[in-house]
Amino acid sequence: MNTKGNWMLILALSLISAPLVIMYGFQLIDSVSRPAPGGIIPQEWELTNWRFLWTSIDSARPSIWRVTFNTFVFASATALLVCAFSITAAYALSRLNFPARRFFLAGLIMLHAFPTITLIIAIFIVLQFLGLYDSLMGVILVKAALELPFGIWIMKGFYDSVPWEIEMAGVQDGASRFRVWRELILPQVKPGLSALLIFSFLAGWSEFILPLVLAPGADAQVLATYMNAVIADDTRPDYGLFKAIGMFYALPVIAVYLLFQKRLMNIYGGGTKG
Amino acid sequence: MTRQTLLGLGFLSPALLAVMMFFLLPVVLTVVFAFTNMSTSTGILGGEYQISESDLRRLPAVGVGEDAVALLAGAGYAVQPETLALFAAEFGEDRAAELDKLHGGAKFDDQRAMERALKELRRNPLRKVRDRKTAADLFRVSILGQRFATRDDFALAITDLGVPERDRLALTEAAYTGWTFTTQNFELLWELPATWRYALNSVIYVVLTLGFNVGFGLFLALSTFYLPSRTAQTFRAIWFLPRILPPVLYVLMWQWLTWDQGFISAMLRPFGIEPINWMRHTATHAWTFIVLINGCVGASLGMILFSSSLRAIPETQLFAAQVDGANRWQQVRHVLLPQMRWPILFITSYQTLSLLTSFEYILLATDGGPGRQTEVWALAAYHTALSNYGGNLEYGLGAAYALALVIIGILLSALYLRFFKFSELVAKPRIEQ
Repeated sequence: MNTKGNWMLILALSLISAPLVIMYGFQLIDSVSRPAPGGIIPQEWELTNWRFLWTSIDSARPSIWRVTFNTFVFASATALLVCAFSITAAYALSRLNFPARRFFLAGLIMLHAFPTITLIIAIFIVLQFLGLYDSLMGVILVKAALELPFGIWIMKGFYDSVPWEIEMAGVQDGASRFRVWRELILPQVKPGLSALLIFSFLAGWSEFILPLVLAPGADAQVLATYMNAVIADDTRPDYGLFKAIGMFYALPVIAVYLLFQKRLMNIYGGGTKG
Repeated sequence: MTRQTLLGLGFLSPALLAVMMFFLLPVVLTVVFAFTNMSTSTGILGGEYQISESDLRRLPAVGVGEDAVALLAGAGYAVQPETLALFAAEFGEDRAAELDKLHGGAKFDDQRAMERALKELRRNPLRKVRDRKTAADLFRVSILGQRFATRDDFALAITDLGVPERDRLALTEAAYTGWTFTTQNFELLWELPATWRYALNSVIYVVLTLGFNVGFGLFLALSTFYLPSRTAQTFRAIWFLPRILPPVLYVLMWQWLTWDQGFISAMLRPFGIEPINWMRHTATHAWTFIVLINGCVGASLGMILFSSSLRAIPETQLFAAQVDGANRWQQVRHVLLPQMRWPILFITSYQTLSLLTSFEYILLATDGGPGRQTEVWALAAYHTALSNYGGNLEYGLGAAYALALVIIGILLSALYLRFFKFSELVAKPRIEQ
């Protein structure tokens, strides 16, 4: 009964997973082949879809390497900022006693649930006031700030799971709280920190709306807006080219996913995306 | 004690600064901007003072007297020392001297009259029509179309022009090109039928997608729960990818699946079905795919959370149920689901808020089309304030749209505070006591 039931389940799951699997499959195939005209079956294998790597696909567009570099800077700078701000703030909220701690914690929970995307119009104007509009710097600051409640939340979870005895022992031996944090607690939360670093990097790498709104110029273009612009500007859709760009764009994501699958699944459980 | 406080606040301060800058300030500013008419044409910094020809008609309506308007409209050209000096620099001292003799101190209503006066030059004639036009412009003293950087400059100019005292204030206000405070955004939102349409669209979108997310997420979690771990992992990996793939690429794959030479059309052609764009053909098509696109991402989150809470249920309960003769459906119905109440409630409440405010996938998939039939509230805010074809971005109106979402966001996230076991979270640190 159970094995028969399992086969039924697997069949049902396979059927409903089929559209996704088809999309993944053709994403791979179409990026390195050319389908028959009007059809979908690949006719010949070729690499011309990847021409964006060595030539400019049209004159007004910045080079892909420049854009990739921007994306890398954007993603890693946000990830570092989020981590740097989270490790201290989360420790304070988790372990230190100071006035208004309750208030800050309540604020954190609210911010964690609050949909930040609703603030984008005001942020757009704030950046114009600050003169950071249309610069990579501006988007980095905004993205890092918006990811921060999530980062603090996750890090607080990791700090909470460190046994108090470690800290007690350190304080007993006469170390200051700062020293206890740096030398005893930080090594304990390293795995959590690296998970947060990876997560924030991926979040930055995939981010689309913020660069689209806050840095639309060619100088600060990232892969998401680059790819979107290529798709939007084309009068006749060239899906081979789009998919090759998409493949190039998603490679780091897929690599990270394969390497850190388990850790990511855990942290995505608390994620903020719809 | 004080050192702990210092350390705590010090540790918190970088994050606090970021939160102030990019959460609190924008929340306050959204409220402020919602009560302004800020747009591309008013600019975001202060404006200038300028009356243009087209403004003249609306001036009486804002309380500027007819004679003041006539004064602004007429008396455009004057032969006086300042303008003569300009003329001399361009066309020579001789001509300026002659014109001074002919018309010194004269005023002309319009450009035609000024040109006629210039035609009267006999000794040093201006023969070309183009020259006379250029020259006439030099005598222009009207303030129409002229920009004044400050209020005082403008006041001085209209005083010089002889605008009566009682009209000056209204005129200055009418001349201001920057943004001003107003409640008309809300009146407009209230009156426009499109507003209700967007609100309704948002409700449709949230309800359908949420149903799909929770139902499908539960199905995925429960079905993979019963499968051998390797098979389960394969399916989980398939359904986890939508969540981590960049949205631009993820939606592109759906575009490819549905466009008129894409997968669905190609598969259906042998059956004699005309190729259409399955995502944009009608509103129903569009809604179906919007729900599927968002739903697969949301179901992926549901699957992860539900799976981990399923694993936390002691297996012995299932064995007991099995011994009592419960089949799988009965196990799910009576043993597993009752224990999933909290995760389901969490996902539902959490995603209600995030679906209500997110527009990324809709923007990429249909951009609110066909027509405006899939334009949800959040997307309308984006289109109004940050991207429209008209080119005049209405920040004020967009902020008014966003304000509704900000308020809902604050209310709901305050409500969620109660879901968390808050007292447990704020348990006092154990070292200082």
